[in-house]
Amino acid sequence: MTDASTQTLDATPEVPATAPDAGPTREGIPVLSLDHVSYSYTKGGKKIFHDLSYKFESGKVYAITGPSGAGKTTLLSLLSGLANPTEGEVLKGGANLAKLDRYRFRSHDIGVIFQSFNLLPSLTVAENIILSIDASGKKFDEPKKDMALRMLERVRLKPEYAGERILHLSGGEQQRVAIARALSYEPSIILADEPTGNLDLSTQDDIMDIFKTLAHRENKCVILVTHSPEVASQSDVVFQLAALRKRRPATR
Amino acid sequence: MFVLKNAWKSVIRNKGRNILIAIIVAIIVATATVGLAIRNASSQIEEEGLQSTTVTAGISIDRSKLISQAKSSSSSSSSSSSEKPDFDSMRKQLSQSSLSLAQYEKYAKASSVGVSTYYSEGTSLDSTTNFQPVESSDSSTSSSSSNSSSSNSSSSSSSSSSSSSDSKSTQGGMGGPGGMASSGDFTLTGFSSDTAVENASNGAFTMTSGKVFGYTSSSDGDVIISSSLADFNDLSVGDTISVKKTIGSSTKTYKLTISGIYKNTSTSSTSAQGPMGGTSQDADNQIYTSVSTLEKLGIDSEASNADDTGTQLSYTYVLGSDDDYNTFVKDVKKAGLSSKYTISSPDVEEYESSLTPMKNLSSFTLTFLLIVLGVGAVILIVLNLFNVRERKYEVGVMTAIGVKKPKVAMQFVVELLIVTMVGLGVGVIGGAVAAKPLSNQLLSSQVSSAQTEQTSQQQQFGRSANMGGAPGSSSSSSSGSSSASGAPSAAPSAPSGNSAPGSSTKATSYISSLNATVNLKVVGELVLIGLILTLISSLVGIIFVMRYEPLQILAERS
Repeated sequence: MTDASTQTLDATPEVPATAPDAGPTREGIPVLSLDHVSYSYTKGGKKIFHDLSYKFESGKVYAITGPSGAGKTTLLSLLSGLANPTEGEVLKGGANLAKLDRYRFRSHDIGVIFQSFNLLPSLTVAENIILSIDASGKKFDEPKKDMALRMLERVRLKPEYAGERILHLSGGEQQRVAIARALSYEPSIILADEPTGNLDLSTQDDIMDIFKTLAHRENKCVILVTHSPEVASQSDVVFQLAALRKRRPATR
Repeated sequence: MFVLKNAWKSVIRNKGRNILIAIIVAIIVATATVGLAIRNASSQIEEEGLQSTTVTAGISIDRSKLISQAKSSSSSSSSSSSEKPDFDSMRKQLSQSSLSLAQYEKYAKASSVGVSTYYSEGTSLDSTTNFQPVESSDSSTSSSSSNSSSSNSSSSSSSSSSSSSDSKSTQGGMGGPGGMASSGDFTLTGFSSDTAVENASNGAFTMTSGKVFGYTSSSDGDVIISSSLADFNDLSVGDTISVKKTIGSSTKTYKLTISGIYKNTSTSSTSAQGPMGGTSQDADNQIYTSVSTLEKLGIDSEASNADDTGTQLSYTYVLGSDDDYNTFVKDVKKAGLSSKYTISSPDVEEYESSLTPMKNLSSFTLTFLLIVLGVGAVILIVLNLFNVRERKYEVGVMTAIGVKKPKVAMQFVVELLIVTMVGLGVGVIGGAVAAKPLSNQLLSSQVSSAQTEQTSQQQQFGRSANMGGAPGSSSSSSSGSSSASGAPSAAPSAPSGNSAPGSSTKATSYISSLNATVNLKVVGELVLIGLILTLISSLVGIIFVMRYEPLQILAERS
């Protein structure tokens, strides 16, 4: 435990030896990196991370793991540009994300699958997906409706789901819609918070296959926040966060 | 585009709530429409009312002032049993104060704005055996003689009352010689010009044969008589009539030539009061001639001062507009008009008093409008507050997927705007339909409340106003003024000014209909109101959205 946390704080990527797939077939380009990042909710308050550095490359599936309270979700909010680090920088292809248009970053470059999905219940499945496509401001030749249907097919949902309201869907189905939404505008980074949390094992594998395909075939950077060992084992790289908040009092 | 599309979709999705908001907006707008239409119409009436028409004005003695002076000075001496307690002293006061023709003309010249004038002089005449007045009562044969005999006594009173009625008729008589003094058999009225004839107290007439007399001395002696009078005496154009007049103790007979026969097209209330006011008051017994005829006969108003002919002068100033009238009033006061006199314009006064209910309605409407708008704004703000709080999650999702906050806020504003505009449209249409009947109904209630006041006045004085000083039995404080105006018989068509309370026999015709139509100006104002209401109420939403941190979405577990 102490070893692992030391490793993490030194920001050394841990490539699990148990990686089932053949690993990255080509050298990835760092698309998102943490540069000596520290974060605390209040200024001068307790730090959740301290001096964290890491590089996320395209074409790989990353699993961020760690015990509860290690700051997995906070890291996700930093990576998705929902929050800015207190110290250090989150770099997007070398540029400080804090200085960029983070709304554009979220709508354009990164697809976030939230733990609670955050789909709009008053909209239909297709409308939720189209909303994200519209928000990205990207231009596509294909009609948006067709794109939405294609995305549904990709997450293995039948086309008749397109007109359904979100609340009529099960948790697993909502999860798929959330993934479809995140993929719809073709972002280069996919960020997912507990993407398999609500799913049974076979569905879990299904979803993981989708993520792996995205990374390996489409050269996307897929970052999964999870506490599931199965998900971690299927990922290319596991980035383990230490239980910083628990550990510190112990050392003092 | 993104904002518009989402806003439109969101409006469609939340039908129930949006219909509710639209209904509230529609009610507010409908009320505002009616209010604005009323205010618009009434301000238009106020502004334009007398701008385009000429205004007539006259100078009168402030009689209530004089009368109250006279009353207070003689109240101790007057006994309660006396029917006519102190008329003489009052008439004396009044007679000393009447203006002469020359004085009237002097003030006309003092005006800095263009003023045209006309005047008429009226006097009573008695019948001769071959020229009898038209009378409708059964006792016509005897009354003609008794009338002439009574006219002896009345002429003496008329001599004293003539000057008082002089001022009275001037004040009230913009429409001609309003009050004829004594109750003779005929009234001979001399007019200074066609305008004066046009404004004859008995209203407009048409010539059935012959022509109206001229105003130069060449047509002296020419008169026109009513067709009834002509038929009654079997006369036609070119015939000569002879009439008598008693001046002091001597009686003169005048010969006049009929140059035309007229027929009244609009009958004033005078004819209806014929039997009550004596035959000379009967519209049919009016003989019209030129002023120069009266001068020639020596019974004009100048002569009246010397000889007590009982001729009354009615002098009228004609001004271009309401504004000119106000200037004229100032000029005349500057020219040295004593404070005993008041310059009044029945046109202006009547017009202004006719506006009273409308003005009341207008100010009431403004208050109401402000209350409705205030309450409406509060309701909309509260609704919008709930709406936005309810959609907190939506704001979170939108900002989390990278929709910029101003866009989200804009979407909320556009949504509300769409709903408001729908409500506005419905409200304007509803208001436009309701504006006219509703405003007229509101106005009529104002008018009726104003008329109630007048009715009480009318009931007290209106019917007895022509009874020749009879209402002495009234012991109320106004009996003095009522009998003062009653004795020389009130001018029926003359709307009374404030200074002569008793003489009104005609209710002011209030403006009782408003053309409260919804025009572009009103619609523009409403759109502005709609926009302001929307912005105020969506301000809550804007503030809420702008303060929302997308990070919060992570805490939103639905």
